[in-house]
Amino acid sequence: MQTWSPFRPSRFAGVAHYEELFFHDEVFWQSFWNTLSFMASAPIAIALALVLALLVNAHIRGRGVYRTIIFLSYPLMPVAVGIIWRWLYDEKVGLLNYLLLSLGLVEQRIAFLDSYQWAMPSVIVAAVWQIVGFFMVILLAGLQNVPPSLLEAAAIDGASAWQRFRRITLPLLRPAMFLCLMLGIINSFTSFDLIYVMTGGGPNHATEVLITYIYRSAFVLSKFDYAAALTVVLFVFLLSLTWAANRATGGEAGAVDAAE
Amino acid sequence: MRPSNAVAVHAALLIVSAAMLLPFYWVLKTSVTGENIFQYPPTLLPRSIHPFYYVDVWYYVPFVRFVANSVIVSVLVVVANVVFNALAAYALTLAFRGKRLVILLLLSCMLIPFQATIIPAYLITKELGLLNSHLGIALPLCSTIVCIFVFKASFDAVPRSLIDAARIDGLAEWRIIRHVMLPLSMSALATNVILAFIWSWNSFLWPLIIIRNQEMQTLPLALSTFLSYLENTTGALYAFCIMVLVPGIVLFLLEQRRFIEGLTSGATKG
Repeated sequence: MQTWSPFRPSRFAGVAHYEELFFHDEVFWQSFWNTLSFMASAPIAIALALVLALLVNAHIRGRGVYRTIIFLSYPLMPVAVGIIWRWLYDEKVGLLNYLLLSLGLVEQRIAFLDSYQWAMPSVIVAAVWQIVGFFMVILLAGLQNVPPSLLEAAAIDGASAWQRFRRITLPLLRPAMFLCLMLGIINSFTSFDLIYVMTGGGPNHATEVLITYIYRSAFVLSKFDYAAALTVVLFVFLLSLTWAANRATGGEAGAVDAAE
Repeated sequence: MRPSNAVAVHAALLIVSAAMLLPFYWVLKTSVTGENIFQYPPTLLPRSIHPFYYVDVWYYVPFVRFVANSVIVSVLVVVANVVFNALAAYALTLAFRGKRLVILLLLSCMLIPFQATIIPAYLITKELGLLNSHLGIALPLCSTIVCIFVFKASFDAVPRSLIDAARIDGLAEWRIIRHVMLPLSMSALATNVILAFIWSWNSFLWPLIIIRNQEMQTLPLALSTFLSYLENTTGALYAFCIMVLVPGIVLFLLEQRRFIEGLTSGATKG
């Protein structure tokens, strides 16, 4: 790694940056753990999306309309989504505080995005809100690949609805759920826009994730060299996580099929 | 399905739909409210509807300029994606030495998220003298590997005999792409256009890094700059937000099926 920025001459730095990063930089470790907790949005969104996919897969009137409404938030600009949620979370006149107070669920207003403990869960809720429709559509495609004859045969054999779901639908949905998990992991490493707009990584680094820390190191603090070391760590971390997830599910990654 | 079940499903879906739509409604309501937006308790319905905040946005920022920037960048990206990806995909349907290696290389590069390359990308763009330019914003998005494979899958499905016939008739290779491959790959083309459009239209981190002048800002960047100047203090922010969101929402509702198809096939092929 070179000690370098466009504004300084370079010299070889050896592993000094990595040493600083791993042993002396508390913000790095915080953003590392925050990235992992932000990743919690993936399983939450997948579980919700599964329920929604089962609901809109039912033969009811207007299911197309429900699908559209639930999917609508996904293709929208994350910056605008961040601003919308900032306003909902507003401490004084935000809709959420108003609703919670009116329903008597809280005693006093919560400063969602300005409090150390609430900031991360609040950002996760917004992230889930945006991505859940996308996961729902992927799982829905998976559900429609489940042969109806299989479910009918099981029903004739006396399997209950839960048993049919547990023994037939769920195993057949595995590839779709795995795909969602992969996308969720990648998404949690790369969603910069939402966090930057909602909290800017604050308060006091409570929502600092690796990508916001990289941005700040390079383009706010002009420590390009250090940011490059951070990027290498982020990439290796992401790669090993996807590899581990791939191993854990027996190599069902979709990527390989595209090869030939 | 039994009627009682259908009612339960409807009820659950109505609640979820309300939760999905409520944020939009709240921002829309704030943006058209005539009274002070900091009034407590907030009213659920707007009392007096005024377009004041929209007029404010018009005077605060060069909105048309921002839209023009976003449109220019998106058009560049969409055209570049269609051209480059179609060419690359066609090349990958032909037989040549080292093809497997090229495909393997492309697939491994797909694992690298753009966010992990911002520092070299910034330095390259700086060396090219493209900071603060439309081309600079568009450049890193001009071809995407996922979209190459979307085209390749579609091209592979075109019967060989058709291509051979075109060749015997003396069609040049690029005319085969233009007149045989593309017309038979309309859904892959639509996927390319939609993905390239969404990525460039919503792109924020990259413009944030390379754009320094206000008049070169794209819509997401302009919106976030507006936020950093004004914080939450004015309804104009939410009017701006709505003005930015509406074109996207209208486009999505018009081309809904293709949008959903494109976004999911972009993910599943990838």
